[in-house]
Amino acid sequence: MKKLLSLLTIFTLVASQSFAASGGVALPEQPWAFKNVKADWDKEKIYRGYQVATQVCLACHGFKYIKHRDLMKVGFTEAEVKKLAEEMEMSIDDTFKSALSDEDAIAVYAKPLPDLSVMNKARPGGADYTHALLTGYEEAPAGFNLPDSGYYNKYFPGHVIAMPAPLSEGQIDYFDGTNASVAQMAKDVTYFMQWTAEPELAERQQLGVYVLLYVFILAVLLYFTKKRIWSDVKRKREGDE
Amino acid sequence: MAKKQVNPNPSSKLEWFEDRLPIISFMKAELVDYPAPKNLNYAWNFGSLAGVALILQILTGFFLTMHYKADASLAFDSIQHIMRDVNWGWLIRNLHMVGASFFFIVVYMHIGRGLYYGSYKSPREILWGMGVVIFFLMMATAFLGYVLPWGQMSFWGAQVITNLISVIPFVGEDIVIWIWGGYGVNDATLTRFYSLHFLLPFVILGVVFLHMWALHNRKVKSNNPTGIDLKKDTDFVPFHPYYTVKDSFGLAVYMLPFLFMVFYMPDYLGHTDNYIPADPMTTPAHIVPEWYFLPFYAILRAINFNILFLDSKLLGVIAMVASIAILFFLPKLDKSKVRSARFRPIYKVMFWVFIANFFFLGWLGAKPAEAPYTQLSQIATALYFSFFFALPWVAKIEKTKPLPTSI
Repeated sequence: MKKLLSLLTIFTLVASQSFAASGGVALPEQPWAFKNVKADWDKEKIYRGYQVATQVCLACHGFKYIKHRDLMKVGFTEAEVKKLAEEMEMSIDDTFKSALSDEDAIAVYAKPLPDLSVMNKARPGGADYTHALLTGYEEAPAGFNLPDSGYYNKYFPGHVIAMPAPLSEGQIDYFDGTNASVAQMAKDVTYFMQWTAEPELAERQQLGVYVLLYVFILAVLLYFTKKRIWSDVKRKREGDE
Repeated sequence: MAKKQVNPNPSSKLEWFEDRLPIISFMKAELVDYPAPKNLNYAWNFGSLAGVALILQILTGFFLTMHYKADASLAFDSIQHIMRDVNWGWLIRNLHMVGASFFFIVVYMHIGRGLYYGSYKSPREILWGMGVVIFFLMMATAFLGYVLPWGQMSFWGAQVITNLISVIPFVGEDIVIWIWGGYGVNDATLTRFYSLHFLLPFVILGVVFLHMWALHNRKVKSNNPTGIDLKKDTDFVPFHPYYTVKDSFGLAVYMLPFLFMVFYMPDYLGHTDNYIPADPMTTPAHIVPEWYFLPFYAILRAINFNILFLDSKLLGVIAMVASIAILFFLPKLDKSKVRSARFRPIYKVMFWVFIANFFFLGWLGAKPAEAPYTQLSQIATALYFSFFFALPWVAKIEKTKPLPTSI
């Protein structure tokens, strides 16, 4: 059982490796906890990611498929969820809307800004891409022709991104006192975005083990049933020769 | 001997019913007693697997229809509704999504088995032809289904593929506008694609029935790995329990990779762009069809030159359609009396080259249409068609191995 589990984990890891590279730069892979088949959503990571998402991302991007009530599926109590919603002057059934209206976004960026709910599934590389992008801002190399309206990002296709670096050191007061480094916030918000993109992930991966185990045992039993039923045919065939 | 009239004094309610609708004896004859060659190998499992895959698509699709909204402004959101709010919605959708890919895998294997063992030859020409019809219908259904989530690849895939129809001389452009229900892919297109995606699986089911009928015809029956006609009763075993248990075992084995994908990599065979809502204003960098269309997509794009007054685009579409339609003519093209590749040394090599080339075409289909891929696609396309056109000639020169007299 243990062996099978670890085998499955390896399969999952190998299979979900990001083959994608953006702009010829390979994405650094992170040891995401959700890649482990036994992993459940971690309430504290979600909470930290939630803080980054609501205090940073939500200024410009929405999470239109997410409402505070959803947090109750990852271990938050109703009281906790209500308090969080109240702090944002929302009901627990309001979806996470961007503070920036589409009209304003069009005025500045010439188009509405993408919703982030399923972003981790909408880019090659998934979570690794999101994480790489958030940590990929740097000075443009000498000779790189950077337009005034853009910023240099190592991992963005073409390297010129309209979004300014969203994360800066100490930007957040984490509920648990974690040091809000850019690396930490990028990790947490990416984890949160993986949850918003596929909240069923943990249940799916945990259930899959049992389903596969069941079918595997069924296959073994059917193999021996098949052998038994066919044994007289084989014997007859030998008799023929 | 069969009775000519109903028994006025039936000995049981069953006999009374059977005299009026002999469905139970029919099912017993076809599903239980059907004489199947006893030497079928595991390559013969893919037919029944394809049947299971079809049923699974119809069932999961049916449940998806209860929650999906075929409306350009709601479709994308309704998929997320299914993934998040519907009980077991994620499982049903993943089964349907991965199920489509696995349906193609088993059907490709099934076609490959028919090619290798010469299952298309007399007396199975109609059986084979029905199979090709099913394959065409499957491709249409899969294409229509991929449009429904209304993501970027749905939208632009629909745009590219429907545009192919515009190559029909004189009326093509008008037909495309008629199919779109507008001057581009739009809400009307989505709703009619949804209707068709619901309808076609049942058409497939009907043709599958004909396919099975042609197979179970006692003058035809299953081919077998030796390809020889089986005459002795002892060469056959009743379908049940011998092949019911073997097919069940095969099904369980098939379920392992299938369910692994469903639970651990449901989006692996899809395209990330399809999680971006359809946007008619933004064209994706690369518009790529689903993997199971890639070999034919490569053939379509290989033709980038005009021949006389014929436009390259028209020729590409003709080549693509012909690459599948040529399968209809396989029984005519392959004149060799020997069915199984086991006894055909030249055909055996040709078969494996054809398969390797088919994979190569699939790989090329995912590459951008530029040098050297276009040139390689042209070579691979030529190789693809030369397989078929070489067959009449091969039948003449090939020295086949001696056939066994029985199995």
